[in-house]
Amino acid sequence: MKPYRALVVLALLAGAWFTASATAPIPAHPRDLKYGPLTFEVPKADKYQFKLKNGIPVYIAPDHSLPLVDITIWIRAGAFVEPLEKIGLAGMAGTMMRRGGAGPWTAEQFDERADFLAANLTSFAGATEAQVGLNALSGQLDPSLDLLFAMLTQPRFQQDRIDVEKGNMLEAMKQRNDDADSILRREWAWKMAGENHYSSRQPTQGSLEALTRQDLADFHRKFWRPEGMVISVSGDIAPKEALARLEARFAAWKPEGPKPAVPWPPAKPAHSLEPGLYHIEKDIPQAKVSIGHQGAQWDPKYENPDMFALMVMNDILGGGGFTSRITKRVRSDEGLAYSAGSQFGVGTYWPGTFRIFFQTKSASTAYAASLSLAEVKRIRNEAVSADELATAKNSFIETFPRQFESAGAIADLFAADEYIGRPHAYWLKYRDNLGKVTEKDVQRVAQRYLDPGKVVFLLVGKWEDILKGDPDRTAKITDFGTPVQLPLRDPLTLQPLK
Amino acid sequence: MIQRPCLSPRLVLLALAAVIVPVLPAAQAAPTQAQVPVEVFTLDNGMKFLLVQKPEATTVSAGWVAHVGSSNERPGITGLTHLFEHMMFKGSHTLGTKDITRDLQIIEEQEKLQEKIRRIYDEQRARWRRGEIDDPFAAANRTAPEAELQKQFQALVDEQRSLMIKDEFDKVYTEAGGSSMNAFTNQDMTVYFITVPANKLELWFWMESDRLYNLVLREFYSERDVVTEERRLRTESTPTGKYDELFEALVWQSHPYGWPVIGWPSDLKVISKEQAEEYYRVHYAPNNVTAALVGNFDPKLVKELAAKYFGRASRGAVDPPSVVTMEIPQLAAQKLTAECDCQPETTVTYKTVGFGHKDGFALDVLAGLMNGRTGRLYKSLVLDRKIATSANVRQNSQKWAGTFSFNAETKGEATPDQLEQAWYGELKKIQEEPIPAEELQKVKNQTLGSSFRRLENPFFLLIQLLVFDGLGDWTHVNTWTARTLAVTEADVKRVAREYFAPEKRNIALYYRKAGTASEEVPPELAELPAEMQGMVKNQLKAIRQQVAAISDPAQLQQMLAGMETRKAQAPPQFQKIFPLFQKIIEERLAQLAAAAPAAGGAQ
Repeated sequence: MKPYRALVVLALLAGAWFTASATAPIPAHPRDLKYGPLTFEVPKADKYQFKLKNGIPVYIAPDHSLPLVDITIWIRAGAFVEPLEKIGLAGMAGTMMRRGGAGPWTAEQFDERADFLAANLTSFAGATEAQVGLNALSGQLDPSLDLLFAMLTQPRFQQDRIDVEKGNMLEAMKQRNDDADSILRREWAWKMAGENHYSSRQPTQGSLEALTRQDLADFHRKFWRPEGMVISVSGDIAPKEALARLEARFAAWKPEGPKPAVPWPPAKPAHSLEPGLYHIEKDIPQAKVSIGHQGAQWDPKYENPDMFALMVMNDILGGGGFTSRITKRVRSDEGLAYSAGSQFGVGTYWPGTFRIFFQTKSASTAYAASLSLAEVKRIRNEAVSADELATAKNSFIETFPRQFESAGAIADLFAADEYIGRPHAYWLKYRDNLGKVTEKDVQRVAQRYLDPGKVVFLLVGKWEDILKGDPDRTAKITDFGTPVQLPLRDPLTLQPLK
Repeated sequence: MIQRPCLSPRLVLLALAAVIVPVLPAAQAAPTQAQVPVEVFTLDNGMKFLLVQKPEATTVSAGWVAHVGSSNERPGITGLTHLFEHMMFKGSHTLGTKDITRDLQIIEEQEKLQEKIRRIYDEQRARWRRGEIDDPFAAANRTAPEAELQKQFQALVDEQRSLMIKDEFDKVYTEAGGSSMNAFTNQDMTVYFITVPANKLELWFWMESDRLYNLVLREFYSERDVVTEERRLRTESTPTGKYDELFEALVWQSHPYGWPVIGWPSDLKVISKEQAEEYYRVHYAPNNVTAALVGNFDPKLVKELAAKYFGRASRGAVDPPSVVTMEIPQLAAQKLTAECDCQPETTVTYKTVGFGHKDGFALDVLAGLMNGRTGRLYKSLVLDRKIATSANVRQNSQKWAGTFSFNAETKGEATPDQLEQAWYGELKKIQEEPIPAEELQKVKNQTLGSSFRRLENPFFLLIQLLVFDGLGDWTHVNTWTARTLAVTEADVKRVAREYFAPEKRNIALYYRKAGTASEEVPPELAELPAEMQGMVKNQLKAIRQQVAAISDPAQLQQMLAGMETRKAQAPPQFQKIFPLFQKIIEERLAQLAAAAPAAGGAQ
């Protein structure tokens, strides 16, 4: 059974028109090509939705073309629930569930067994979610599932493996200042969300070494529980079979202690942006640049028309590759950068981030920035062309079916919706909502959500050369504000250096 | 985009793709070995097509490989293959301009100016050789005639831009719902790919045949600048890029794999449009190209469209020349020692076998025994000896030759030299001791999984077909599993003895540059005898760990006070050490203080 396949109605199967086109002369321009319709019906979430006896929603999308089964369990055990004096606890617990042994198996036995079964098992915790996952050969599903549930419900957190992991993390910390891109990423996150929010804060040697095995075990017992879980299953298994296996394993799991108080939705960053020109010194021949400010946030129903207009606006400004303005100007016209563009983040739990990015030889930094910011001003001051609007909208609408391109994609998408609270109607109305966006909408949201006068301009590079600029151009880096040099951080303590 | 032949982690997995069904522990219905049903046909002009149908898809992932890589270049034009890849997105006689007649005139005029600039660069290089200028190409050293030529050139660029339909190639695909459009170049091949909605199949034929047979090298010189930025991005601004490039040049003595795919900067400065056109005529002829389509299409229609669109071109006048230079046997071990802003690491590379060689399969199995969380290297170097954070090997069979490389990063006080020696130890075990049957089995079981996993994604399957064809034989996708399955313990031991002789080693040892490490020796320690330095460093470490576990500020204050007392009693040469200890405690106090108000929600 392959339910998702039935949803694809391809007019080309008729074939008649195509046969004709194969003998017709080649059109002079691709716009003269004629296409049959591609009718794509959005899969209905309820056809995939099931519920376990304990209330956990499960999304199941079978596909028997390969002997593989994929299972992901989503749970509210991300960094947002860890106490501030235990930075990194959620992440470490998430990592060590897979690596520290589980149930009857030591870490050595667990790893050997997983590899011998050719089962890919993962565990992980991010800022607002945690997951365990399994990709198994369907013929080995039961022993593989036993491993998955052992690490989910009875992780051993073996001390020697915790020590290895801590040691490796410490070595990774030492590399914090090696790569200019990682410096830029870290400082940008801090500029946008502050240094203490769980989405941007970083562990130090001190915080890492303070985490104990007991901390991990306590955290797991408290937060890794069935309440709030969502499960996705796809691949070579029928829903009935999948549900029976899950029910049996959940029935055997008796979590200890009271249900934890999990703040939901996760808390927003308490940070106010400080616009300005910030520089971090690094002796490299390019400047790595991020320019931007706060983005926007979805409304609970995911239907605010501004958000769809913002998607189109950013696609035209710098998100659509070579069809977007910043990429055209900075890369294609002027040859100043290999990658240049913009992102406009629409967040789920708090506003995302608007960011222009590029990397260019030090001397071109000011010029490339002036070209990029001129495009921000232009999209606020002038309506976009009908042609640009159509290209952006068509691209979103025509690529939409790819969101559902496999059984795994469908099950994961609906499970993610359930987890974050996005209504199914979002997908049903997606193409219509994008189709409604007009030139006026694009300009309106550009004026409302973009403010080129109040940006954080952050760059990593060799200041002396950046300041000198390009002798052939008039733009100067100091046009963008009074430069503030930010110190590099000690990679282990994150205290300012010098 | 440039891709080293390593492609992706998933392709590396492929290297292990043996299928043994009955070996899995539990009784089960044995899945048969995964086979990709590929339909093949070739046009009269020599262009080959590989088709895989996926009727359930809403898209077609399609692409083609030109059998040309940087190994087809020569000194003076290094980087041309990759630059050409960029040029394939810049339009044609039909796409990209409102006035093709004037556009072509402008390009011709631009070319004349660039030729004059290249003659000036001949003179600039002579001045540089005489020591009169420090850089032949720098703006500061520009002569008046060059400045004038650059000005004239810029005027032509401006005029051309006014006639252009900017990036129209991209626009046509984008508004039609094309996605994942890109390309990559490596030493052996140039690969172009995209995914289009299934009903827009004919657009793919239109667009790709247009750029294959109707190309205009427009904006050649600004694209050369983009590539120079790409070089800065990938090679010059990364922690190890420059040294990796140096190491490649060390490994390959005679073979063209020694120069970088992105090209030497001095070559990029003078590569001409004429050289690019010559390259195009020879290497992009239909007989040097293979296309592949994976997705929802009618194969009969594909054949008709292929003949209609790609059949327009005729076979190239001359067949593309083969790469004839063979790597000369290595006579002595070579070692590169570098300092960078990087984690200390070790690479040991041996030249082994190229694509399709019978020993490639045993070398892959050898890599399988070494790699992964239960592989020998992780167990020994990471878990038991704790001298590395990661350790792995890779057999990389390229078209004309191949390498086997060990790589590991250090942990704690371990040195790159220790990692190098540890690798020799593991290699010796394979050479001299029996390999447990169950261990060999595990490698083959895992490859059973990956033999299916690699087929899950149609786009990834497309890339595999194109890459294997680029290496010399797409049928590898279906034969690799069985041939790897046939590998025995004796085969693994034989290749382990044959390819890893001490004089065949190429060793790269990277050390962290002084001043960039967090654990650099503090100046206060520099005056101490070396043996004391180590002791003090260990004490610093111990105190850091101790302090990190304390959350009570009062306790820390007490420790600080204790330090003062001990400092007063210490011998003079140790007096300077105590502030280091105190600093650690003070940092912990500051950390606790910072955490306290933030917990209340303040920023």
